[in-house]
Amino acid sequence: MVTPAAPPDLAVRVGTVSLKNPVLSASGTFGYGLEFAPFYDISRLGAVIVKGLSLLPSPGNAPQRIVETAAGMLNAIGLQNIGVERFVAEVAPRLEEAGAVFVANIYGRTVDEYEAVARRLSDLPALAAIELNASCPNVKEGGILFGSSPHGLSGLTRRVRAATAKPLWVKLSPNVADIGSMARSAEDAGADAVSLINTIVGMAVDHKTRRPRLANVTGGLSGPAIKPVALRMVWEACRAVKIPVIGIGGIQTAEDALEFLLVGAAAVQVGTANFRNPNACVEIIDGIRDFLVREKISRLEEYRGGLLS
Amino acid sequence: MPSKRPRFVGGKILRNTGHGIFYRMEVAVPDRVEFVPGQFAMVSGWPGNDPLLPRPLAIFRAGGARGTGTVEFVYKVVGRGTALLSGLHEGDPLSITLPLGHGFELGAADRAWWLVGGGVGFSTVFPAGAALSEGRGDFEMFLGARTRDQLPPREWIPGGNLPGRVHLCTDDGTAGYFGPVGDAVRERLDGLKASERGRLTILACGPREMLRGISESALARDVPMQVSLENHMACGFGVCWGCVTAVREGEKSAYRRVCKEGPVFDAREIVW
Ligand SMILES: Cc1cc2nc3c(=O)[nH]c(=O)nc-3n(C[C@H](O)[C@H](O)[C@H](O)COP(=O)(O)OP(=O)(O)OC[C@H]3O[C@@H](n4cnc5c(N)ncnc54)[C@H](O)[C@@H]3O)c2cc1C
Ligand SMILES: Cc1cc2nc3c(=O)[nH]c(=O)nc-3n(C[C@H](O)[C@H](O)[C@H](O)COP(=O)(O)O)c2cc1C
Ligand code: FES
Repeated sequence: MVTPAAPPDLAVRVGTVSLKNPVLSASGTFGYGLEFAPFYDISRLGAVIVKGLSLLPSPGNAPQRIVETAAGMLNAIGLQNIGVERFVAEVAPRLEEAGAVFVANIYGRTVDEYEAVARRLSDLPALAAIELNASCPNVKEGGILFGSSPHGLSGLTRRVRAATAKPLWVKLSPNVADIGSMARSAEDAGADAVSLINTIVGMAVDHKTRRPRLANVTGGLSGPAIKPVALRMVWEACRAVKIPVIGIGGIQTAEDALEFLLVGAAAVQVGTANFRNPNACVEIIDGIRDFLVREKISRLEEYRGGLLS
Repeated sequence: MPSKRPRFVGGKILRNTGHGIFYRMEVAVPDRVEFVPGQFAMVSGWPGNDPLLPRPLAIFRAGGARGTGTVEFVYKVVGRGTALLSGLHEGDPLSITLPLGHGFELGAADRAWWLVGGGVGFSTVFPAGAALSEGRGDFEMFLGARTRDQLPPREWIPGGNLPGRVHLCTDDGTAGYFGPVGDAVRERLDGLKASERGRLTILACGPREMLRGISESALARDVPMQVSLENHMACGFGVCWGCVTAVREGEKSAYRRVCKEGPVFDAREIVW
């Protein structure tokens, strides 16, 4: 009699944070997580990363905020959100009740605001980590001021690091000349992990009306169109730092996710794919498991980082 | 289980046929679909990543029994996504998230209703007409199009064979009222007695400029109105904040999601 093999072990660690699998929802594409409860049990995810939170509620940018582009989309949402207080009072308890591992993505207009949001979130025992958005291209204050030079990033990271004992993940912008040095400055300033990439600044215009398609004129490009750029940057970051790197950008399928894990990512985030297929994240988890079964790999860790030259 | 909670389902096309400038598509889905008129679905029916996003379409009709359901859409080809949909055949697969959004509120039974559809906007208001036909009140229909050939087929119009119920309007005068449907609505509003206006509610879907014009006419005469907006959407279920419209909130305004708090809003709330 053949005994069925034990299911493969998908667990990963991002620094001190243990996750049951490497698939996380990307901030801004997953609401506050609870919106996905009609589709599946959100505790199945490695972690839920919620929409970027600021100290006070923020109205966001004027519409038009999105436009579809070739195999991608541009967005200029402008970080509309309910603010950290309402998140702590209304959302966090429900995420905890749902059994979800959750991470808060934060941004501020000033370093003081970043610190204040991080401090407020530190009161939440169930919060797994804080992801510092140092890279939103759509609001001047969305971190890009701090996130576009190694010096600015290091200053911001140091201050927030000192303000919270939570694991601190720093989300990097791809709109820089040297992603490796950005990752290193986050590491040197005390980040527990880096996540990348945020969206790539882009633009769309209408040749007939002669107007920009987004009210904000420029927006952030996401989706399959950015995957090769993201993969290259994740690979470079993995070689530049010792802390874990979380891969993001254009992941639609389990194969896409495996590619990021192969170049060394500790985990991945799935963003735009959730829009067309609300079940994308769990289908990716299942797909990774199926792949490991087919390849007779018992632990994801045996596969991760194993890119051949 | 039949449910009003949104679901992501795989469908199979039963029918996808052209009727003038419109297509009507019937899709088999795994379970009975219950919906409120004005609710919509996010639909994609093409492989690969380009176009990337699903397209919002109003639920035109739905039914079925436990374990087998059907849903119908009516659409007009305007760009790449709808062109791809129009090329699909019986048996082709479709991905659908539904039912989505906040639909029309068809409250009190003693009210009179005017349903206004501009262009393909009729696909959003006809389900309300169908529900009202089932006995919840009397309604009239105002349908606007550029020209005669762009009006919906008569047999699709709820109550379409009842005399005096349907007011057709064309921009070029080839059928019915010669002029924009908003003008026809305003003129008829002015012909009503105060008591008649007091019972009336207007439901409308169509181009934003049309909705804005009619809402000005309606609100100036204290006639309540619900408008269904068509903003561009990425997710359709409230997680991207891409589809917002400005609404009044006390003295200020705030951005609300058309896919979640809408697509149907009280016209008084909208900041045009
Ligand atoms: C709630 C709702 C219900 C709708 N119901 C219907 C319906 O029943 N029948 C019907 O024919 N149309 C309906 N529409 C409009 C329909 O979604 C668009 O015509 C369609 O998305 C156009 O896609 P395309 O690829 O053919 O056009 P393209 O112009 O190539 O599309 C490019 C992008 O713009 C978006 N877009 C373009 N026009 C519109 C529009 N008018 N509204 C929203 N997004 C748009 C597309 O979704 C896509 O993301 C509805 C829209 C909404 C928001
Ligand atoms: C509509 C939208 C909103 C986003 N909002 C945020 C945000 O609030 N904070 C953040 O750090 N990243 C935000 N992002 C970036 C995503 O988290 C992700 O880094 C990016 O979209 C690339 O991944 P993808 O191609 O899988 O979408 C947003 C992206 C989109 C499309
Ligand atoms: S379309 Fe994503 S929130 Fe409305």
